[in-house]
Amino acid sequence: MTDLLSSPVLGELRPDWSWLDGSAPDPQVLADARQSTQTLLADHGVTYAGDDRWRLDPAPVIVQADEWRALERGLVQRSQLLDAVLGDLYGARRLLADTLLPPLVVLSHPGFVRAVDQVRLPWAQPRQLVLAATDVVRDSAGVWCAVSDRTQAASGAGYAMEDRRVVAQVLAGPYRQAPIARLGPFFHALRVALHDVAPGCDGSGGPRADGPCADGPRADGPRAVLLTDGPDSATAFDQAYLAAMLGLPLVQGSDLVVRSGRLWMRGLEGPEPVDVVLRRVDAHWCDPLDLVRESRIGVPGLVRAVRAGTVSVVNPLGASVLESPALAAYLPRLAREVLGTDLELGSAPTWWCGDPVHLSHVLARLDDLVLVPSSGPCVAGAALDTASRDRLVDQVRAEPWAWTAQEPAGPADTNQGPAAAVLRTFAVAHDESYQVMAGGLARVWSASDAPPTDTHEPAPSLVGPPLSAVHPVPSSGALRLRATHAPSQGRPVAKDVWVLTADRLAPDDESGPVHETNERGPAGLSPRTAENLYWMGRYAERAEAQTRLLRAVVDRWDDYHTAPRSPGGQALHVLLRAVVHHDDANPATLRDLVHDATAPRSVAFATDALARAAQGVRDQLSTDTFGPLARIDRALAEPDQDVAPDGADPSDRVAALVREGTGATSGLRPVLDTVLESLLAVAGIAAEGLVRDAGWRFLDAGRRIERAQHIVDTLASTTVRAGPPEVDRLVSEAVLEVHESTITHRRRYPTTATVPALLDLLVHDDTNPRSLAFSTARLREDLQAVPSRRTDRPDHLLRDVAGLETELDAVVADSVSVGGRRERLAESLGSMSWRLEAAHDEIERLHFQHTAPQRTQTDLWGRPNVIFGGGE
Amino acid sequence: MSTWTWDLVHRTTYTYPQDVTDSYGRTVLTPRDLPGQRRLAHTVDVSPTPADLVEEVDYFGNVTTYFVVTAPHRRLVVTARSQVEVTRTVPALADLPTTAWDDAAAGAPDLTVREMLLPSAQVAPDAAVRAFADGLFTPGRPLREVVTDLSHTIATTLTYQTGSTTVHTTQAELLAQGTGVCQDYAHLAIAALRAHGVPARYVSGYLETRPHPDRDKLRGADASHAWFSVWLPGYGWWDVDPTNDQTVDCRYVVLGWGRDYDDVPPLRGVVFTEGTGSTLEVAVDLVPTGTDPYL
Repeated sequence: MTDLLSSPVLGELRPDWSWLDGSAPDPQVLADARQSTQTLLADHGVTYAGDDRWRLDPAPVIVQADEWRALERGLVQRSQLLDAVLGDLYGARRLLADTLLPPLVVLSHPGFVRAVDQVRLPWAQPRQLVLAATDVVRDSAGVWCAVSDRTQAASGAGYAMEDRRVVAQVLAGPYRQAPIARLGPFFHALRVALHDVAPGCDGSGGPRADGPCADGPRADGPRAVLLTDGPDSATAFDQAYLAAMLGLPLVQGSDLVVRSGRLWMRGLEGPEPVDVVLRRVDAHWCDPLDLVRESRIGVPGLVRAVRAGTVSVVNPLGASVLESPALAAYLPRLAREVLGTDLELGSAPTWWCGDPVHLSHVLARLDDLVLVPSSGPCVAGAALDTASRDRLVDQVRAEPWAWTAQEPAGPADTNQGPAAAVLRTFAVAHDESYQVMAGGLARVWSASDAPPTDTHEPAPSLVGPPLSAVHPVPSSGALRLRATHAPSQGRPVAKDVWVLTADRLAPDDESGPVHETNERGPAGLSPRTAENLYWMGRYAERAEAQTRLLRAVVDRWDDYHTAPRSPGGQALHVLLRAVVHHDDANPATLRDLVHDATAPRSVAFATDALARAAQGVRDQLSTDTFGPLARIDRALAEPDQDVAPDGADPSDRVAALVREGTGATSGLRPVLDTVLESLLAVAGIAAEGLVRDAGWRFLDAGRRIERAQHIVDTLASTTVRAGPPEVDRLVSEAVLEVHESTITHRRRYPTTATVPALLDLLVHDDTNPRSLAFSTARLREDLQAVPSRRTDRPDHLLRDVAGLETELDAVVADSVSVGGRRERLAESLGSMSWRLEAAHDEIERLHFQHTAPQRTQTDLWGRPNVIFGGGE
Repeated sequence: MSTWTWDLVHRTTYTYPQDVTDSYGRTVLTPRDLPGQRRLAHTVDVSPTPADLVEEVDYFGNVTTYFVVTAPHRRLVVTARSQVEVTRTVPALADLPTTAWDDAAAGAPDLTVREMLLPSAQVAPDAAVRAFADGLFTPGRPLREVVTDLSHTIATTLTYQTGSTTVHTTQAELLAQGTGVCQDYAHLAIAALRAHGVPARYVSGYLETRPHPDRDKLRGADASHAWFSVWLPGYGWWDVDPTNDQTVDCRYVVLGWGRDYDDVPPLRGVVFTEGTGSTLEVAVDLVPTGTDPYL
């Protein structure tokens, strides 16, 4: 198989495994490794673009030490040059001259952010570019060549680390034998950079007397956060993973606020100062006041804080101007001007159409070139028919400054094997220079995929290699090589990059995220995160409760559903009432109650919500959490060949379920078992693997209040209607089983199960973790332990919860009233249910502050003296 | 040369149906100090009292004010008061250089001029603009003539109609509907000039409105105004008001300039509130100093 990135052997495009004692890994070893990779990626919950799994081929790209050293030197030099250019563009603009860098290259680029003109990062090093990512390819001569620079908010460092973890595991043999350079030092350097770049911190990390930080440098050091564009971002995994690796809170715009000219993070106890923002939000979306008005993912006032020098944004908001494709044409002469040396890592020949000489050259050679606009998809000249070619020429002539042309780099022969391969490299400002990640994120597109495009895709995306990395194949009729890939099409496969090193390696293994929770006390937990954790607890418990209930139904189904009048049949009916909640939409079948994620009472619905909540707080959780979640997903995704029952009367859903017949439950038991095991694993990781900080308290509080509600609901639907003693006994047994209290009951009560015994165990027994008394006591404990920004209200909430416990005493056991209903029990349970809901509402009000919606002030456009604006 | 001194009040009042918890705002309401225009006094008052208020100078050199109100409120009042001395000399057309428009772009010396050649957020020189203006740009024609002709053509083609456009209206839509406000007039002129490689920028400010000779001036009924400025090699930036089809003189007060309206709206903001919609009242009063105070 050809390999477009590895160091070539004797001019052949195949990886060199000769450094291994034996030879290249056996094909079977690689095949097994590919299989294990899939499982590991699923277990780690590694996603890309929503629910898509990250695609990784464990066969690594291998780069020889001496070759890497040369590339590394080129990357360091390129970063230094880009940094100097960036500093100049937002400063003296000395380089902005026709003889060096034509002004319109910069002035016409959307990344030139005028609102942050003259802003400097307040750190000791006179550097503005903190993080640089450069995509490189091998050109047809096998020489490394830069195809684009990512300076806005480059993604992929987290994926690179995760790829390394997985590959080191599935190819443990070769990995251990090989002298492979580690990725860790890059992340360490990034942590140092994020610390040093804080206002008031000089390079050594000590406080600076004249620091611009308004309230002086704090004893606990600067606080950095990672600003995400949200859990729905295509690279949400990458962002959360990076946040966890760096030990940074993962925050959204709504978690931050600008007050008194500086940036704060909303905390449980009130605002906490933020000194450094590592942003994964494109600059224009970072501040709806001073940048794009429509943004709902930014922080109003951020630009004001940046201009005041009270917060450092990394990379600076203006950095994406360096992504201008035209810059490549001028870097060689800028290198000579700024660094006094030749550019080591060059690009394919590039022309900026804003220069009339370049323009005529481009128009004459259109068929050989790829045209890249400053925004939008790029166009391969060769792929155009006459009409679209003319249209393109008109477009370029109308706005020449907006177009750049480049000769395709990359391998010429793409008939076989991969069509394109791009290596994304990363460098971070470190000491007086840049530290390059020893490796990177390699992405390979296979020839069968749709022609890739989108050279200058929005920054967070990893879709599509730069078009200039491939030789376009002429094809009649294709107007634009616009990416129209289906999820599995045109999507690259990632590879780990093994840089062989002559250096002796530190013995430490590559480790993933470190969970240093709350070095600074309760800080770092936003109300949004607290809310996610709380709901994660609730949904985990809800999924478990419903799974146990359904398991009890499934176990009794085959024996009893054909004999509805027998005690067993009547008991089954009662259990079904508990499964089908009175206010549900109509679930068609028992199978739906397990598999159908759109049915609100189903297991799948609860586990989906659980997974979403977990994704939203990924940076807070152990990565082990995602293995069980992946197993649940697999178990519930099994094909559903159920036939809906006909003639089911929607008015009696329980009856409809009963009519489903013998096949209704086939195959459900093993699914429910797998789901339950995995849920218990999640609960175990939460119980044993998390620090008892405020975050854990919210997770636990969610679990406890949900369990309490579940007990109340189950009792209300199973014990209020008094049945014949034999039916009551069967029902009580089942309820004990559902609440995992069967063995305790047997030990305590010599008699058969009765409703009073049931209530005693499930309501009053405060030593039973499945009881109401235990749950409410734990809830109170949790709520006492969490900080709150409002001092007046917590007591109120705690009184409510304490009231719940008192209410327990009032639950009257076994008074059967007229008509076969335990009326007083029904009243007690009803009141309890209502109180639990009230407590939930109060938790939301008290801890999960919701800010009012953000709106744009009506504009003063026009000259009306009185208008009635709609607002937004 | 005459000297005019103006008292200027610009009050913007927002009323909301429900409490606004946080209000972030930025104004460009401070007249610039320029050759021919001097700011004698200036204040920006915000009510309720802002928790943060800071004056900054933007990329274009305009004076802006950033403020944040954190007290819950249903009424936000931003009042800018200025006293400005204007001694602007209006160039006689015959005294302006006769440079041809097709040579104007080549002579653009520095960055601040060259960037006014480029399309911007709200000015897109498209086919409709070209169709509208191409006839004015005959080869070799002096730019000063093209500009006066352009101003006159816009003034006679468009009908001024308050509320007929929004901040999102494009020049193509404007030409199609034939009605607009002063910001549209300015944008259209800028688009036409840039489409032909002539640097042009947007100017925000005020113009004194004269009452009907038989009536007293209606106080507070002035308004924000906008016009364009064109780069005339050998002269510099030349301000022309296409809405009134005249050169900008001493009755005009300049607040600031940018590539288009989007760079210099008098007031923009972000608010946090459960309620939707708001009522907006704008009162502008521009009177010679010595007149009874308006507000």
